[in-house]
Order: sequence, then C-alpha cells, then structure tokens
Amino acid sequence: MNSQPASHRLVESVVLACLCAVFAAATWIANGYALKDALGPGPGFFPFWLGLIGAVLSLVLLAQSWRGSAIGKVVEGLWPDRAGALRAAALLGGLALFALLLEPAGFRLTALVVTAALLVALGVRRPVAIAAFALVSSFGLFHVFYHWLKVPLPVGPFGL
Amino acid sequence: MKTLMKSVVGVLASYAVAVGMAGAQVFPSRTVELMVAFPPGGSTDVGARIVAAIAEKHLGQPMIVVNKGGAGGQVGWTDLARRKPDGYFIGYLNLPATNTVILDPERKAIFDADAFVPIINQVLDPGVVWVRADSPYKSLKDLVDAARKAPNTIRTATTGILSDDHLAILMLEEAAPGAVFRIVHLDGNATQVKEIMGGNIDVAFDNVGGIAPRVRSGEVRALVVLDTERSKFMPAVPTSKELGHPTVISNSTRGIAGPKGMPAPVVAKLADVLKKAMEDPDHIAKLEASGLGVKIMVGAEYERYYRETHEKAKKYVEWAKTRPQR
Amino acid sequence: MDSVTHLLSGFAAALSPAYLAYAFAGCVFGTLIGVLPGLGPSAGTAILIPLTFKLDPTGAIIMLAAIYYGAMYGGTITSVLINVPGEAASVITCLDGHQMAKQGRGGTALGIAAIGSFIGGLVASIALALIAAPLARLALKFGPPEFFALMLLGLCLVSGLAGRSLAAALLMTVLGLLISMIGIDPVRGAPRFAFGIADLYDGLGIVPVVMGLFGIAEILITAEQPVREIIRARLSNLLPSRDEWRRSWGAIWRGTGIGFGLGLIPGIGAIVPTFMAYILEKRLSKTPERFGQGAIEGVAAPETANNAYANAAMVPFLTLGIPSSPTIAVLMGAFIVNGLTPGPFLFQERPDLVWTVIASFFVGNVILLVLNLPLVGLWAKILHVPFRYLAVGVLVFCVLGAYSLQQSAFDVWVMIGFGVIGYGFRKLDLPLAPLVLGLILGPALERSLRTSLEMSAGEYSIFFTRPLCLGLLIASAAVLVVAALKLAPKQLRQA
Repeated sequence: MNSQPASHRLVESVVLACLCAVFAAATWIANGYALKDALGPGPGFFPFWLGLIGAVLSLVLLAQSWRGSAIGKVVEGLWPDRAGALRAAALLGGLALFALLLEPAGFRLTALVVTAALLVALGVRRPVAIAAFALVSSFGLFHVFYHWLKVPLPVGPFGL
Repeated sequence: MKTLMKSVVGVLASYAVAVGMAGAQVFPSRTVELMVAFPPGGSTDVGARIVAAIAEKHLGQPMIVVNKGGAGGQVGWTDLARRKPDGYFIGYLNLPATNTVILDPERKAIFDADAFVPIINQVLDPGVVWVRADSPYKSLKDLVDAARKAPNTIRTATTGILSDDHLAILMLEEAAPGAVFRIVHLDGNATQVKEIMGGNIDVAFDNVGGIAPRVRSGEVRALVVLDTERSKFMPAVPTSKELGHPTVISNSTRGIAGPKGMPAPVVAKLADVLKKAMEDPDHIAKLEASGLGVKIMVGAEYERYYRETHEKAKKYVEWAKTRPQR
Repeated sequence: MDSVTHLLSGFAAALSPAYLAYAFAGCVFGTLIGVLPGLGPSAGTAILIPLTFKLDPTGAIIMLAAIYYGAMYGGTITSVLINVPGEAASVITCLDGHQMAKQGRGGTALGIAAIGSFIGGLVASIALALIAAPLARLALKFGPPEFFALMLLGLCLVSGLAGRSLAAALLMTVLGLLISMIGIDPVRGAPRFAFGIADLYDGLGIVPVVMGLFGIAEILITAEQPVREIIRARLSNLLPSRDEWRRSWGAIWRGTGIGFGLGLIPGIGAIVPTFMAYILEKRLSKTPERFGQGAIEGVAAPETANNAYANAAMVPFLTLGIPSSPTIAVLMGAFIVNGLTPGPFLFQERPDLVWTVIASFFVGNVILLVLNLPLVGLWAKILHVPFRYLAVGVLVFCVLGAYSLQQSAFDVWVMIGFGVIGYGFRKLDLPLAPLVLGLILGPALERSLRTSLEMSAGEYSIFFTRPLCLGLLIASAAVLVVAALKLAPKQLRQA
C-alpha cells in the first residue's frame, strides 16, 4: 500500500475528477461529429472511444485513491512553504504578463519590464545587475534574433 | 504667466502638428511583413524569400517573410484577413486552396472571398498527371480507359483534401463519363513520390513544379499537363486541350494579397515594387530552376482571375462533399 | 568497389579548407540553433537558405546538412541542463539527462551524449556509403498500412514507460492521443474541438506543449523548493565511470541499430527512434527502476538513436530524393534552388557532388565531437548560475522560442498552460512521457489508418494481406500479451 496524507488525496481526487470531466466532455462533443464514414471510422470515432476509456481510467484511479493508495510516490511536502509558493507564483505571473503584453507593447519593452520585475520578485537587490540582465534579455536578444537571425519579433508603439 | 501659457500652448500645438504629419508619412516607413501560410522550406516559402530579398531594395524598407502554417493554410489566411489594412502586413494566397477553404462549409472559415485585396500574382503552376516510368499507362487515354473498365480501382493520389489536384480529378471524371478513380489523399508532393515509387499508389495528380525534375530525368512519366499550352519545363508532354479535354484546366497559383480596406495608393506602391522584383532576371532564374513558371498578374487582371477561380471551384467542392469516397 | 573510390575522392574534396570551414560553421550554427529552444532545425535551416545562395552548391549543402545534425546536439544540451526540450525529439533525453544534471553529473550526461551521437552518426554514415541504394528501395515497401502498424506497436510499448502505475500511464497516453485530435481531421478535412478559435485549427503545437510540460514545469517546481546547495562537479566527474561506460556501451550499439533502421523509412519522425531505444534499454536492463532517476543508459540510447536516425534519413533523401522530415525538405529546397535534384540520377550525373556531401557527413560527425566534448565542461557551468538569474533567463528564452515558431502569442499561452498542467502532473507523479507519446502518435495513427482505407476502398483486409504489416501487428499483440501477463499478478497483489 502506498499510503498518503489526506491533503495529497484531496489534490489527487480533484485532479482526477477534472480529468474525468474533460474526457466526458470530449466524448459528448465527439458524438456530435460523424462516427462512421463511407470508408471507415469517421472524425468522431476515435475521440469518442478515447474519451470513454479516459473517463473510465480516471474513475478507476479515483477509486484507488479513495481506498488510500496514491498513484505514484508520495513526495515529501506536496505543498510548498509560503516563500516557495510566492516564488513560483511570481514566475507564473511574470510569464502571463509577458504573454499578455508581448504583442501590444513589443518584445523589447515587455522583456525589459518583466525580467527586471521578476528579478526583484525573486530577491535580487543589486540594481546594476538587474539593469544589465534586463537590458541583455530584452534589447540584446532582440538584436540577435531580429537583425541577425531574421526572426520576426513584435515591435510595439514608439517603435520599440 | 501669460507668456508661459502661450509658450506651452505653442509647444503642444507644434507637437500635435508633428505627430499629425508623422501619421501622414510616406508608405513604407518601416518593415513590411510578407506572410506565407505554410511552414518554412516549402516552395511557396522559397519563392517568397527570393522575391522579398529583391523587393526590399526597391521598397527602401526591409521585407521579412513570416511563416504562419497550419490547417492547410487556413491559420495563416485567417490571420491575414484580420490584420490592419495599412500595407505593413501582406501575405500569399494559394489559389484554389484559399477558395476551397472558403467554400467548404465544414471548414468554418471566418473570411470570405471579399476579405482580401489581391495585389499581384507570382507563380502559376499547371496541374500534371504522372505515373512511374514502368507503369502500364502510357498515355492519358490508357488511364481513362482503365478507369472506365474498372471503376474505383485505380489508386489516385492528391496532395490534400480539396486541393487543386483533388478538383482536377473530379474535372477529369466529369469530362470522361464512366471513369471513376479511387482517390487517396496524401499530404504533399514528397509523399506522392514515395508511395508511387513504393507501388502503393498507381497515379498521382500534382503540379509541374513539384515533378518537373523527375520527368526530365526519366524517373517518372507525365501523361498530361492540365493547361491550354505546353509547359516549358516538360515540352514533350501533351496538354489536356490537345488530348480532347479542353475543360480540364487546373493549376495552382501563388499571389500576394492584403486584408480588405487597403488604401489604393498603398496597393499600387506594393504592386509596383513587387512587379519590379518579380521581373528581375535573378528572380525568374531562381524560380525556373525550381520548375516554377513566373506569371505576373497585377491589379484588375489578378482580381478577375481570383473571382473566376472562386466560381469554378464552387461546383467541384460541392461535388466532392457528396461523393462517397471523396 | 566503385563506391569506395568515389568515397575516397569525396573525402579529398570534403577535407579541402573551404568545405571544412563550411562544415565547421554549420556545426557551430546548428548547435547554437539547437540550444535556442523552439527555433528548431527546420526554421533555422530555412532562415539560412538565403545565406547559401552566395556559396557554391556543394558548399551550401555541406553547411546546411551540418546545421541539421548540429541542431540535434544543441537540443540535447538544453534538455539535460534545464529540462527544456528544444524540439520533440529531445524529450526522452530530459527524463534521465536532467536527473543526472541535478545530481551534479550533467557534464557526464552531455559527454556520453556526444560520444554516443558520434558513434551512431559514424556507423550510419558508413552504412549510408556502402549499402544505401538497396536498403532504400527496401524501405519503400513501408506504405501507409505498415506505418499504421508500426505506430500501433509504438503505442503498445507505452507500458515500457510506465512507472509505478500502469493505469496512470495509460491515462496519460489516452490524454495525449485525445489532445492530438484537436485540429483538422484527416477524414473530412474539417476542424475538430476547435470551438471556432482559428489558432486551434492546426491543433496544439508539439513544441510549445513539451516546452511547457518539461521546461516551465521544472522551473516552477524548482522555484518552490528552498535554495539548495548546487553540487559542484569536479572536472574528473565529467567522464563516465567505468561502470557507466560498461552500461552505456550496449545501449549505444542498440540505439545505433534502432536509429539507423527507422531512419531509412521516410516520414517516421525523430522522436519515435528515441522512444523505442529508451524503452528497449529499460526492458533489457536488470534494474529498470533506475530509469527516470538518472540512468546513464537512459541518455546514451536515445541520443545515439537520434543521431543515427538523422544520418540514416539522408539515405532515402540522397538515393531516392524523398525527404523524411520537414528539415530535410528544407535541405531539398536548397538542392532544387541550386538546380540539383536529389535522386538516383544525381548519383549518376554528379557523383562528385554526392560523394563529397556523403564524405562531409563523416567529417561533420567528427567536428561535432571535437567541438562539443571539450565544451561540455563549459556548458555544465551554466548550472552554477544562481537560480534567480537562471530561471528568469530560461523563461525569456522559452517565451522567445515559443513565439518564434509561428510568430504567435497563442503558442506562448499554450506553453504556459501546459507548464501549469505539467507542474500539477509532476506533483502527483503522473508520468509525462506517455502523454507526449500519445500526442505524437495520435495524428500518425489516424492519418495512416485513413490513407490505408482510402487505398483499399474501405477493406480492412489490407492490413492482413501485406506481410510486413501483418508482422508488425502480431508484434504489437505480442507486446500487449506480455505486458498483461507481467502485470496481472502485480495488480492482484496490490488489491
């Protein structure tokens, strides 16, 4: 038996339940596409059956989880401590901001702001290092990719 | 205080004028992006890079090729249709592929035939029917007779569902009643070569550019070119018109267009610059080395061709959707 | 014997200063392109095509080919060091390679990858030179039904990737297969699961997905943990221990065989040989639990297979003019624009060119080894950069890489989304490799099934009347039976 703490079981159950829902939705949508065609399986055939099998498998794993045995090895400290969680959240937030602002504000501006902000969020306190890193990551990379490699990158207002 | 206010207003006013004038700057004042709706390396892409490198010089600003491949071009054309019509983002239309995407209701295209302003056409690649060099079909007649005698047995390859090759097969079936081909959709010219060489496919419908070198070397045999005049890349191959099927005319064109609403002077400038680039002997030589015939159509001529192709495709797309083995 | 004479004169030409320089430049560019995640060999090669207009055809082709296999190694570097697979083929290397890096043996992983790649590439080049043509013709027998059967076999082998729970591996495989069905279907040519979003019409790109699942997820997971001691690797640690050598040796040779064999078949895709080589090693090992925790064979096998595949893929290309992958298609474009048509007639018309190119593959493999092995220590130092800077740098690279694929912010969002998903799955120890396998095999399976049925006008007998196909189907059934037998007692014990 691979016993697990209640918190782990909760997370597992939620994830498996979500997966089950996704599979069920896929089955339902696939049913709307033709299952058969003049020649063989139609566009809906494979998604339908895969969704069904997936839903069943997730329920099986869910049952296993409730009976107390985790899917894989139980890692110590599933939940990170507060500092760790904040760091991960900051990185994720930075990524999302990058993706959001990339096309409207252009690569250089976005990269400059996001890298500087992330470095500060992760605890770097040396302004020179931050500025240098941010400049290289934005203007430096842009120059390499846009001018040397001819890879088109978004250019925002003010021609940046 | 009053003088201060006056100077502030004065500065603001001249700033506004400057910005206003900047807005009315001559086109182009920055990089122009030329989109290809297919991944890098394909023949549309190579042709685009060749023309962009020459057009840059006439344009005075860089012109870079942007690849937006996927869904047989639909992803790229959807993006093109949504762009600002200011002339800084233009892209390639591949007819009749673009037309069939619009005409097939299942594709759910968000753009229609009016969504684009055709600027200039670069390449016209006629359709061709070819077989392995040791195939029993030595002429188009052999092929059609065999298709009549044993309908739905000859494995015939296209380069994609509703491609110009697909429509060409239907055109031939229409012109030679009783002939039925077993249509197999492959993805691209390389796969056609592989399957024909491997004996899995009996005959392929493709375009001259893709197969000209192999016809020249004798590896494969071209039965007919689906055009009104012979191709200079395979002059020994008869045309469908010569062989008694003047309605079976099929080709694939690559031309440049912009989103609708582009101002006429911008269109004219781009057409002029691109025309000069396409007439450049270096451009023509490089494209012809790849077996692609340059056919420049500008302005009204291209617009008319665009509409005609669209109308013609309509009939065959409808037929394709109802045919049991599409 | 004629081939040998040709090859020797090819060598003489390939070793001339100019061509040597092109090969070297190609290897350098290629490695750099491979290191930049997302850019990938095909985009990189395409970008460099205009550059080659200025060179003579032979030189241009030598350089482009060098870029191609150079990029494969570059992808390895990022997979091992920062768990970011530069392209789909490098995914398997992440599994054990990055674990080795975390244990301070990143240099060793890169080293064995370089050596394995060299051996795999060299053997493949030799085979290419000697027995290319007849092999290529044989490989053509692989039509759509055989393809389907091979992909099916690959799918059945997923049990080889399962860790603790087979059910979890199956769940992930099914999820991968399902996700791969987003986009235009091969039957009607109409979009599935696209909900009217144009960006979904082509499905989710495999590169943003794996960059998210592996690279981004890794950054998030590492960020959470308290700052730990970076294990400083001493230079002597960069060489594999005698024990590791012994274990890798067999893996390298088996990887070469698999990579070369599959490389002869056009259209397979680089990721399939890496998966199969990895699974084979795991199956043959007496201690399979080590795989996924930093087993050196888990790096040696896929890396060798990868390079053997890349070199072998030149066989159908040069002998028959059939490109096996998008990158080789770009290479073919370069040939054609220079007025050359790869194929049997090129061998006859321009033997000087073809054999010089083949000779340059040997040379290129040597250059790659010479270039990369000494640099391994340098690359491994990247891990010593403080996490705060490394993480931000990697994030910027990943965003850049994902965006530059199609100039689309949507791909960046896909990467972020799968980063979160990968993070969640890793926390629960749900295996990621089967997900990627399903994602890759799904479209191949469906398309080859459809094409086979079009060929046979709907008759399923086509799968059973073709001997090669039938053989592969039987092999798949055998794999399933063996897996079921092995697992049955275990499942009963778990209850």
